[in-house]
Amino acid sequence: MKILVLVKQVPDTSEVKFNENGVMIREGLQSILNVFDQFAVEEALRIREKYGGEVSVMTLAPEQAKSALQKCLALGADKAYHISDRAFGGSDTLATSYALSLAIKKVGEFDLIMAGNQATDGDTGHIGPQVAQFLGLPHVSYVEKVESIDGDKALVKSLMEDGYRMVEVKLPALFACIPPTTFEYSNPSMSGIIKAKNKPYIWFKADDIDGDKSRFGLNGSPTRVLKMYPPPKRSRGEIFTGDYHEAVKKIIDVLKEKKVIS
Amino acid sequence: MLDFTFSEEQDMIRESVRDFAQKKIAPIAMEMEKTKQIPEDVIQGMADLGLIAPTVSTKYGGQGFDAVTAGIIAEELSRADPTGSIPVFYLVQASWGHVFDKYGTEEAKQEILPNVTKGKWFLGIATTESDAGSDVLGTRTTIKKEGDKYVVNGEKMYISGVREAYTRGGGHITIAKQFPELGAKGMTMFYLPLQSKGIIPTYVDDLGREGISTGGFTIDNVTIPKHYIVGQEGKGFYIVHEGYEYARGLIAVICASAGLKSLERGEKYLKERKAFGMPLAKFEALQFRLAEHYTKLSFLRLGSYWALWTYDREGQKKATRFEVSKAIAMAKMFASEWSTQAIDEVMQWQGAFGYTRECVDQAAWRAIRSFSWAEGSKEIMRVIVSRELLGKEYTSYK
Repeated sequence: MKILVLVKQVPDTSEVKFNENGVMIREGLQSILNVFDQFAVEEALRIREKYGGEVSVMTLAPEQAKSALQKCLALGADKAYHISDRAFGGSDTLATSYALSLAIKKVGEFDLIMAGNQATDGDTGHIGPQVAQFLGLPHVSYVEKVESIDGDKALVKSLMEDGYRMVEVKLPALFACIPPTTFEYSNPSMSGIIKAKNKPYIWFKADDIDGDKSRFGLNGSPTRVLKMYPPPKRSRGEIFTGDYHEAVKKIIDVLKEKKVIS
Repeated sequence: MLDFTFSEEQDMIRESVRDFAQKKIAPIAMEMEKTKQIPEDVIQGMADLGLIAPTVSTKYGGQGFDAVTAGIIAEELSRADPTGSIPVFYLVQASWGHVFDKYGTEEAKQEILPNVTKGKWFLGIATTESDAGSDVLGTRTTIKKEGDKYVVNGEKMYISGVREAYTRGGGHITIAKQFPELGAKGMTMFYLPLQSKGIIPTYVDDLGREGISTGGFTIDNVTIPKHYIVGQEGKGFYIVHEGYEYARGLIAVICASAGLKSLERGEKYLKERKAFGMPLAKFEALQFRLAEHYTKLSFLRLGSYWALWTYDREGQKKATRFEVSKAIAMAKMFASEWSTQAIDEVMQWQGAFGYTRECVDQAAWRAIRSFSWAEGSKEIMRVIVSRELLGKEYTSYK
């Protein structure tokens, strides 16, 4: 079983702050492996343990993201692919997915591609489905668990708004993964960290992947971020307590006063 | 060329240890003051990550880490555990695991070290006696060779991890007089399993570091096999100092880390707490104290890593034994003092709350205070440095 996991390094937004213009203050923020991606990596390693094979990881990011890939190797992944070139600067999710899909084609075929369902910075959830689309693969999002793999079929548990669905998918396929609430991410062991430095780490430049270069980077990105800001704070609202009938009457009066109802 | 950065691998080690320690140790740290033990899942978690005696070779289940890398782990454990219990549990095994790996017999290493690195057994150090501490030559415990075995008699006191080794398994690297007439050249080091027949443990009620036991044991005609001798007969005095130097370097890092962490808590408090209509942080008198303590502890941190780096350079034949002794003694000389002064200041900022058991800093103060003498008193550190500066002939002690 050849598995590839797409990962991203993100700012540690657990204590995120915004400036007066509503822009996230990135200074002083540590870079970490996106937790959705770490879950996908750990799920891939679990699959490898059960069914055998090899787990590779891939990112498209500046050089500093090496520490995220190395963390994946330290956790137990076998091989890392790092796609990095100034030509990819300013890529939106479409240009990123396009470049990733080209790199995947270049590397070879995989039985299974996994990714975090979304990243904690952009939170778009685009990459997985778009890469699958470029590669012409079936995909399932919100995958909490790969229940079983039998030949070229996988059974996955996917989170829905009001429950779960079990989906049987023909492989090769792409699963965008979301950690269950009980997920506790692992820390790389000391021996894992030492072994990581001797594992294959492959760099790709823009010239190393075949494709339409006009679709790379800013030029290939139709999305324009005009402004980022936190949603306005909502007031707590008024709570009517006491007798049920009285409370309903009061609510109706208020709604009438505000001309919501007549 | 000067370079104060750690390697990529060391950065990753720090990140992993910090994350683990903040997630698993910090939330339960103060609880250890009541339970008087380190939770089993924390010990197992440390073992799974490879944090117990990581200085031991990979052949025996360790990581083969150098002293600087061992210091990084010590720093992160100290940040997470203000009670100092886990830092002590760590530093003792890291230091003496290293010594055992270097000087122990192959048979003993195979038997003991994998159990230590897996977190099953505890490996400690027992040199102190009721009447002998820094003055190792004052040791009264004896070891005699009888056939192909050795018989030990005596007692040890103020030893870390007695309960841990007595109940979990493992033992202490111990020193005793074999040839009293030879002085320093008559002392032998050996591994003493604490579950041996003839060992009777006792415990003392320490002021701090309460998650790990301190105690002693009497040694009544305890027989140990030949392969438990560490180094050669008569070399114990010299080896024990090597081990203590390793431990002192780690202690210096632990002190700096605990003090800096306490200052972090203090900074937060100064910004939040208001007096006379403004945050305490606006009072220049307090700002200056913060700046002074931070500066001293940052230099202590740098000095500690420099000392551990010097230790590693000795292994690479780039530093002499004496340079290492001096560097380590310089790092440890003010470590406890500066750190407890900073923590004391943070307690002062918090007023009456700083004097309650709810305040984390008082636990840190009690823990760090112990390092003024543990593994070599601050007075002995001055003796070592002045001896290296002036020459042995000006030393009043043997």
